[in-house]
Amino acid sequence: MRIGQLFLFATFFGVASLWSQNKQLLYDFNEIPQSLSVNPGVKTLQKWHAGVPLISGLAFQAGTSGVTVNDLFADDGIDFTTKVRERLLDAMSRKDDFSTTSQIEGFNVGFRGRNRPDDYYSFGMYGETDIITYWPKDLAILAFEGNGGDNIGRSFNLGDLSVRGEMVNVFHFGINRKVSNTLTVGARAKIYSSIFQFESTGNSGSFSTTQGQDNIYTNTIVADMELRTSGVEGIADILEEDTGTTQKDITSLFTKRVLLGGNLGLGLDAGFTYQLNPQTTITGSILDVGFIYNSKDVKNYTLKGSVTNEGLTIILPEDINDLGNDLWQDLIDEIEESLPYEENESGYISFRPVKAYGSIRYDFGQGGSSNEDCACPINIDGGQNSDFYRNSVGGQLFFMKRPRGIQAALTGFYQKRLGRAMSLKTTYTIDKYSLTNIGLGLNFQAGPVNFYILGDNLLGYKNIADSHYASLQFGFNIISWNDN
Amino acid sequence: MLCEPMKKLLFNLLSQALVFIMLWSCSEKQDFSQFDDLSVTPTIASSILYLESDEAFINTLSAFGLFYSKTIAFEAFSEQYVAKRVLEGKIIYEFENTTSKRLNITVEFMDEGGNVLDTESFDIEPGTTNAQITETTYGPGGKSLDILTNTNSLRIIGNNLSDATSVSSASEPKVIMRSAAEFLFRLK
Repeated sequence: MRIGQLFLFATFFGVASLWSQNKQLLYDFNEIPQSLSVNPGVKTLQKWHAGVPLISGLAFQAGTSGVTVNDLFADDGIDFTTKVRERLLDAMSRKDDFSTTSQIEGFNVGFRGRNRPDDYYSFGMYGETDIITYWPKDLAILAFEGNGGDNIGRSFNLGDLSVRGEMVNVFHFGINRKVSNTLTVGARAKIYSSIFQFESTGNSGSFSTTQGQDNIYTNTIVADMELRTSGVEGIADILEEDTGTTQKDITSLFTKRVLLGGNLGLGLDAGFTYQLNPQTTITGSILDVGFIYNSKDVKNYTLKGSVTNEGLTIILPEDINDLGNDLWQDLIDEIEESLPYEENESGYISFRPVKAYGSIRYDFGQGGSSNEDCACPINIDGGQNSDFYRNSVGGQLFFMKRPRGIQAALTGFYQKRLGRAMSLKTTYTIDKYSLTNIGLGLNFQAGPVNFYILGDNLLGYKNIADSHYASLQFGFNIISWNDN
Repeated sequence: MLCEPMKKLLFNLLSQALVFIMLWSCSEKQDFSQFDDLSVTPTIASSILYLESDEAFINTLSAFGLFYSKTIAFEAFSEQYVAKRVLEGKIIYEFENTTSKRLNITVEFMDEGGNVLDTESFDIEPGTTNAQITETTYGPGGKSLDILTNTNSLRIIGNNLSDATSVSSASEPKVIMRSAAEFLFRLK
């Protein structure tokens, strides 16, 4: 029963909140300290920075490659079951996914080395939730239509079930080093403290009902399926308890797991910025190359085997002495033996969803030679901003490893710097979620106070319920620029 | 280079536009209560029972007509999850009889106490090589679904309505009963 609830929860959670992880507006937006989180090798501008705790970096993104909320729930007078059939069952494929990522920064601090001013050190903590579920097309059709009627002879692909999710707290420490006037590199080490994790990927198998060899129908199941969970049982146990201390117990459990009391893992980010010429820059980064070893509060569920069934069979005279009650129980036993459903508590390693960025940027519209009135790339040694340009245009690539392959996005961007006070970035992104994703980011500096807000797929906001993708990031920082 | 007032103006305009877009974005009216109207009614199909007997066996045991009688536990329909959700459906029976005899096969649906809830009786003519198909519907327009949802066992009775000595000229003469169910369930 619990495995069913988990699947239901996973699917519902995925469907209800649909996200992607691309942060194309933040990437290489080097006026914002949090750009270090998507490229540890970004060109750093600050002498030091400190994020305002809990509100220095909030990122919420949502997207669906298939049906939208509006497709199903618009008050349009169309029968809901008809909408589900036409817009979900008939229209969506097993390649469509719903995914969610959210990040909340606990704290984020960075400072330039006193003895090594070319080094910028940063550390902090953030929480991240990442869930993806692919549309289980064949399983949905099986639930909606069944195996009878027109589906006699159809093979339902059990491998359509693919879901993965986790909530993790991340402690990180990074070093950003200006190697030369043209090259900046960076790396960030991470310790993951898992709050919960579940995954059911790589499933295979089929269920079919065909004309029988002896009897009318043959039901055949071939399955190699597994759901692995860690941290879920403990949460479920507390929620199921009726003790009146549920909230306290959940808070206590989460606090413990956030502070390295859960399953632990290690990860690495790395990146670089290289100036090809005074006006052309390329960047690249790879994030979350890491794993978590899940050994605590583990519960795994498996369904592996194959069985073919044509109901009860009596062949006379061979079976004349078989007892009737044994026939039914024998059938049940045979199915359970051939297709065992099992549970275990074996530890397992889960890999973080690796992400990679790359970009090329062309700067133009030289705006001055000092950084007195801008928050833009600086020359640490001379305190001069020799490479300040007011405009940038370029392209970015984003890749992310997903259970069924690499998810990619292509972005074109334009950035405008208006002195120290403000910088704007606008992006156009195409990916599997949207071909009309226009984003706008704003970074504002008022004295030492920095505020940024980045909004994606702005065209979708004209009817947010019909949007395939929505994203919002914002935060506050205190920044000291190098000349301060 | 923009002057300060222009910068402020631009900033104000853009930031207000951004905030406006974020906070005051539009959405068509949504009605999430529609989910209550979702109807999920799959048709589930499965074989039930296959019975086969050769003519020699019938000749051996049917001096008094009865050649087989067995009560078989069958709880597929009475299982609570199924019983609560079944809406309607049918049981399909197929018969082949290549023996030389006219036969009768009776299926009795019995509850937990051994009471007979319903009886299906089939006479099968000899030499029936093409399947003789009979369907019994349950639910609206058919027999009561209570018969199935209260059935815990089936009693299968085979009777020879002819002599016990004749032998068909067909190779491997036998009687076969096939049966399957196709039922509509309400999952939601």
